[in-house]
Amino acid sequence: MKSFRKILVLALSFVLTFTLAACSGGGSSEGGSSASEGGIDDSKNVKIGVLVADATGAEALAFRSYYENYIAKQYNVTFMYSDELTDAAAEASAIDNFIANNCKAIISFASSDRPAQIRKCAENKVYYAVATGTLSDEEYAEFKDNEYYVGAIGPDLATEFQAGYDMAKFYLDQGKTKFAIFGGATPYYTDMHIYRTAGMLVAMCEAGGGTYNGASDFGSMIGKIYEMNCQLEPAKIGSVEVVSYIGGYDFDDAWFGKLAEAANNPNVEVLLTVGSGLDTFAAFKQESQQLATVDSYTSDAVAAMKSGVLNYLAGKYSASIGPIFMATLSAVQGKPIRTANGEALALSQGYWVATSAEEAEKFYAVDSSTEDPAYTRAMLDTLFGASYDDFAKFVSAYSFEEIQNLKK
Amino acid sequence: MSKGKRLACTAAIPLLVCVITNLICMAKGVAMFESSLHVLTLIRAVANVILVTYALSINLNSGRFDFSVGSIALLSSVLSSAITLKYGLGPVPMLALSLLFGLLLGLLSGFVYITLKLPPMIISLGVALFYEGLAYSITDGHGISFINNKELLGFGTIPNYLIIIVCALIFMVILFDQTTFGYDYKALLSGQRVAVNTGIKEKKNALICYGAAGLLMGAQGFISATTTGSIQMSLNFGSIGIMFTAFLPMFIGGYIGRFSNDKLGYLLGAVSMAFISLTYVRLMVNSSVQQVVSALLLVGFLIYLNNEQRILSLFRKTH
Amino acid sequence: MDNEKILKREKLRRMLFSFAPAAGLVILFALFMAFAIAQDINIPYSLKNILNQSVIVIVVATGAIFIYTLGSFDISLGANMCVSALIGAMVYGRTESLVMMLGACIASAVIISLTCSVLASVFNLPVFVTTIAMLSLLNAAVLMLIGANGTGDIIQVPAEAVSSINTIQFKLFVLLAYLAVCVFAFSFLKLGRQEKFMGGNPVCAALSGLNNSKLAICAFALAGLGVGLGAFLTITYAPTLSRNTAGSVGMDVIISIVFGGMPVSGGARSRIYSASIGALSMTLLSQIMLMMNLNSGISQMVKAVIFLLVVFISMNDGRKTILPR
Repeated sequence: MKSFRKILVLALSFVLTFTLAACSGGGSSEGGSSASEGGIDDSKNVKIGVLVADATGAEALAFRSYYENYIAKQYNVTFMYSDELTDAAAEASAIDNFIANNCKAIISFASSDRPAQIRKCAENKVYYAVATGTLSDEEYAEFKDNEYYVGAIGPDLATEFQAGYDMAKFYLDQGKTKFAIFGGATPYYTDMHIYRTAGMLVAMCEAGGGTYNGASDFGSMIGKIYEMNCQLEPAKIGSVEVVSYIGGYDFDDAWFGKLAEAANNPNVEVLLTVGSGLDTFAAFKQESQQLATVDSYTSDAVAAMKSGVLNYLAGKYSASIGPIFMATLSAVQGKPIRTANGEALALSQGYWVATSAEEAEKFYAVDSSTEDPAYTRAMLDTLFGASYDDFAKFVSAYSFEEIQNLKK
Repeated sequence: MSKGKRLACTAAIPLLVCVITNLICMAKGVAMFESSLHVLTLIRAVANVILVTYALSINLNSGRFDFSVGSIALLSSVLSSAITLKYGLGPVPMLALSLLFGLLLGLLSGFVYITLKLPPMIISLGVALFYEGLAYSITDGHGISFINNKELLGFGTIPNYLIIIVCALIFMVILFDQTTFGYDYKALLSGQRVAVNTGIKEKKNALICYGAAGLLMGAQGFISATTTGSIQMSLNFGSIGIMFTAFLPMFIGGYIGRFSNDKLGYLLGAVSMAFISLTYVRLMVNSSVQQVVSALLLVGFLIYLNNEQRILSLFRKTH
Repeated sequence: MDNEKILKREKLRRMLFSFAPAAGLVILFALFMAFAIAQDINIPYSLKNILNQSVIVIVVATGAIFIYTLGSFDISLGANMCVSALIGAMVYGRTESLVMMLGACIASAVIISLTCSVLASVFNLPVFVTTIAMLSLLNAAVLMLIGANGTGDIIQVPAEAVSSINTIQFKLFVLLAYLAVCVFAFSFLKLGRQEKFMGGNPVCAALSGLNNSKLAICAFALAGLGVGLGAFLTITYAPTLSRNTAGSVGMDVIISIVFGGMPVSGGARSRIYSASIGALSMTLLSQIMLMMNLNSGISQMVKAVIFLLVVFISMNDGRKTILPR
C-alpha cells in the first residue's frame, strides 16, 4: 500500500512536471502579419531547425536571443533548437529530428561535418545554411550548385587570421613587446583558433623582425603550427617575445595554475586570447597588463571593459545572423539568392572591435536590443529576393558605423 | 607498530612525491617554488581536491556511488553567487551561502535516496541531471560572472585556503571519529544488516552523509567560482568529471589510514596530487601527457595496494 | 488459504513490476505518437530516426550488460568506441576495405576491453577503477591518433564508401545478429547463469568453483564486440570522426541500462533486453522533449524526473528493510 502511495505521488509529480514543462514550451510564433511589401509571405509558419554546437557560451546565447526574441517575433517562423552537438553523429541525428518535425530549413552553427549536413538536407529537400562560418574552398566547389544549399555567411579563415593579427598589432603599435597567448582550442586542431593564433604570431614577426620557429608569414605560420602538432611554445620573435603560451580547455587545477602563472609573470605586458578571455586570464590579470579577446558583447564583457579588466574586444554582433536567416527564408519562399552563375552565397563578415569602454557600451546597446537591434526587420526585408550584388553589398557593410548608416 | 614507524609510513607518500616532483623540475632547470604564486597554486589545488575527496569518500566508502557531487558544487555556487551579487555581499557571506545551499542540496539528494530506495548510483544520475538543468534554467544558460568584483576574487589567498582545508579536516575528524553518528557510520560500513538490526537508524545516517558531502561540495563550488570569477553551465553530465580527481587521493588516503587517521590520509593524498599538478604547471605539460601520467599513477598505485604482500615478499626474496 | 492469496498477490505484483520498463516504453511510445499526430510530424521518418539514434547505444549497452551482470561497471565504453572508430577509419584509409575496417573496429575494441579486465584480474584491481584509468588513457590516445593521421582535427571515411551500408536494413541486421548472439550467450549458455550467480553472490559463486577472472574476461570480450560493432555503425552513420565522437555514449549506456530495468548491482534479476528497452525509451523521451521545444535546462530536469520515476516503478520492492547500495 505504501509503495502504491509513493507511486501515486511520483506519478502526480510527473504529471505536474509535464504540465509545467508544456506551459513553458515554445510554440508557433505569432510574429509577423500578412505579406509585407517585400513579398514575404507571413501567412504560413515556417519551421526552421537550428543546429547548435554550443548551448552555454555567451556568443551562442546571444545568437539564440536574437532569433527567439526578435526574429521569431517579427516573422511567422518557429525556431527549433537542437541539443549541444559535439560530433558528426549528433549533427546527423539532429538533422533527422528536424526533418521528421517538418522543418523547411536548417541553419547550422555546428561544423563537425558540414558536407554530410548539406547532403542529408538536400536528399530530403530541406534548405541548409551556415551561420557564422564558411565552407572550405573544396567544400564550396562541391555544393555551390546544390539548390538546397543556401550558402554561408560568417568570418572566413582569412578574417579569423586578420582578427588575431589586428589584435596583436594594436598592442605592438603601442610598443608592447612581451605577450602571453591563450590558444583556446588550437591543440584540438580547431581552424578558427589556429588562424587567430597564426595572425597574432605573424603580427609579432613583422613588428619584432624575427620568426616564430622559422615561420613569419601567413602560409608558413599555419604550416609551422601544424608541424608542431598544434602544441605551441613560448619563443623570442626578434625584439618581441611570446613569454607564455597556454592552450586547451582542461578546466582543472593545473590549467588554472598555468593561466595564473602566465598572468602573474611580471614580464608579460599583454594577454592575448583567441577566445574566452574573461574565463581564462581575467581573474589572474595584473592591473598593469592589457587583456584582449575575441568574444561576444555581453553585459559582463562591457562591465569588464568599463572596469579595465578587459581592454580589447573583437566580437561577432548577434544580429550578424540576420542576413543568413533572410537568405534562408527567401529560399524557402521561392526566391533564392544566388550568384549570377546560380551558385550559393559565400560571404564573409567580420567583427566589431572595441578598444574602449565607450565603444563597447555603444556596440552592446545595439547588439542586445530586442526592439532595435543591428539588423531590424525593415533592413532585413530589403534582402528578401534581392539580387546577389545587393545582398553581398549589405552583408559586407558589417562595421558598426556602416550598419548605422544603413539604418538611416 | 611504533609511533616513529607510523609517522614515517604516514608521511612517506607525500614526501616521496614532493622529492620526486622537485627533482623532475630541477632536472628541467625549473624551480618548483619560484614565487608565492606557486605556493598559492599548490594550496588551491589541495583545497579543491581534498573537498571533493572528502565528499566522495563519505558515500563511496558506504558503497554509495555519487555522480552528483559536481552538480551540487555547480548549483550551490550559482545560487550563492546570484544572491551575493544581488545584495552586494562579500566573500564570507557567499561562502556561508554556498555551504548552506550545498548542505540543502545534499540533503535533498539524500532524501530522494531514502524515499525512493533506489540504488545510489541511479539516484545520483537523476539528481545530477536535475541539478545541472536547474542551474542552467536559473541563469538561462548564461552562467554567472563577477569578474569585476575584486572583493570576491580576492578571497583566493593562501591563509583563506588553509583555513578551509583545516576546517574541512577538523569537520571530518569530529563528525566521523568523535560522534555517535561516526560510530554508526562505521558500523553500517562493515555490516549493514547487522547494524540496522542493532537499532542504528540507517536512513538518518545516510541523510547526514549526503548533507555532509553536499556541504563540502558547496565549499568546493565557492572556491572554483572565486578562482575564475565566473561559473560556466554544464549539461548532459558535464559536471561529473570533477569526481575523477578524487580517486587517487582516496586510495592514497586509504593506505595512509592504516598508520594514522584516514581523513589525514586523504589530505596527504590531496597534497601529493597537488604537487603533481604543480609540476604540470611548472613544466607546462600538455593535457594528453597529464592524462596518461595520472592514469598510470592511479593504476600503478592500485597495483601496489592490491598486491602489497606479493610485492613485499618478492622484495624480501631478492634481498 | 490466506497465505495462498498473499503469495498469489505477491507473485502478480512482482510480475507486474518486472514488466514496468516495457510498460514505460509503451507509454512513452504512446506519448510520442500523441505529440507526433498533434504536431503533424513525419511519423515514418521519425520512427526510422528513432531506430538510427538507438541502434548504436543498444548494441554497446547490450554488450555492457554482461559486465553489469557481474556487478561491475565500465565507464570507458564511450572512449573505447571513439578509439576503435578512429582506428577503423585509419585502417580504411590505408586499405579501402569495409571488411578490414570492421575487423579493425572489433579487434581494437576487444583488445582495449580485455586489457581492462586482464589488468584487473592479474593485479586484483577493482574493475571500475581500472576503467577510470583506462578512460584517461583512451582520451589521450584519441588526440594522439588524430594528430598522427595528419588530417587536421578529423579522421574521415569517404561518405560514398559507407553509403551502401548506411541503411536501416543493415543496421537492423547488425543489431538483431548481435542481440541474438548475446541472448543466446546470456540465456542459453551457462555463461549467463554463472555471471548472474557471480553478480548475485560472489562468495558463494567462488566457493562453488566459479572463476571470477574468467567470467570477467568473457564479459569484457563480449562487451568489446558490442563496442566494436558500435564503432563500425558510428562510422557508417557519420563517417567524419573527431575527438568528441561517441562522447556521450558512456553515460547513455548507463542510463539506458538502468532505464531498461537492469539492476545496477547485477545478479539474478539481470535481463539482456534491458538495454534495448532503455535505449529506445530514452530516445523516445528525447524526441518528446524536442517536440515540446523546451529550454535545454527544463528539458533536462523533466528527463531527470521521468528517469527516476520509471526506474522507481520498475525496481520497486516494497519489502526493503535496508537501504540499497
